[in-house]
Amino acid sequence: MSVKDMSHHIANYRNIFIYLLIGTALTVIASYMDFNVQDSIAGAIFVGLLIACIKGYLVAANFMHLNSEKKIIYWILLLTVFFLALLLFIPLLWDLNNMSNQINY
Amino acid sequence: MEIPYNVELREDTGLYNSKLGIWLFLASEIMLFGGLFSAYILLRTGAPVWPPIGADGHSVLHMLKETVPHATFNTIVLIGSSVTMVMAWVSLKQKELSKYKMYMGITIACACIFLIVKYFEYSHKIHEGFVPAHDTYMALYFTLTGLHGLHIIGGIIVLAYFWGPGFKMWGLEPERFTNRIEVVGLYWHFVDLVWIFLFPVLYLLN
Repeated sequence: MSVKDMSHHIANYRNIFIYLLIGTALTVIASYMDFNVQDSIAGAIFVGLLIACIKGYLVAANFMHLNSEKKIIYWILLLTVFFLALLLFIPLLWDLNNMSNQINY
Repeated sequence: MEIPYNVELREDTGLYNSKLGIWLFLASEIMLFGGLFSAYILLRTGAPVWPPIGADGHSVLHMLKETVPHATFNTIVLIGSSVTMVMAWVSLKQKELSKYKMYMGITIACACIFLIVKYFEYSHKIHEGFVPAHDTYMALYFTLTGLHGLHIIGGIIVLAYFWGPGFKMWGLEPERFTNRIEVVGLYWHFVDLVWIFLFPVLYLLN
């Protein structure tokens, strides 16, 4: 990597740091705002997790260099995300199952 | 015998071996924390009120609001440590060794500050009777933040090694040492990434 490339990287890291700080401030501010829909805090959860996802993307893409990685790493992560989604979906299936049991009995 | 593909890239993967190794490790870490997040969703959706009220009739909710400033401070500290970590790697690429030492030192200091703040937070909660047995939220809180804290301690040990005794590799194999710092950096950024999700989930969205 040339010196010019490196100075470009350094400027980028500084910007990402600022974006992450802004994201953190927004997360805290959003938690004090009312996004509630019909007494449910689903709206606040959605906004909080959306900001967390954006911050996570900034860290992964820039600090972990996922915006310019080899194909094999993308495949590994795609497979992981698939199983992670499955894992996070299990609680929902559990709830659906409980609901159908309540209807049947 | 020399270990192959420490510096040179493999033709099939296009990576040096330790980079592929750390990404496979991080994939297993995603599943580890993912399992706990899954447990969190299951327990939260199944609870009539969140955070639940303990056997003593108290909820941790009022105390959570008190600890938001500490957790916000810790988030900023950890994000800052991620920046200094990547800057330590950049310094090695530029062969600026004093800068590397400085950035690595700041990263370790940030990690220690994070743990000190966490210690005070834990002490306060335990002193007020909010132990893991108090309710489901507290059990999840200590499990998730405790596991994350263990990752921070592990990171400090590795970072301190590369800041101190491990640095002598630079004199013999500078490129291999730079790759090692990139790999430990990936681990450190992952620890930061996990906290980015833990912060709103445990402190703010209740």
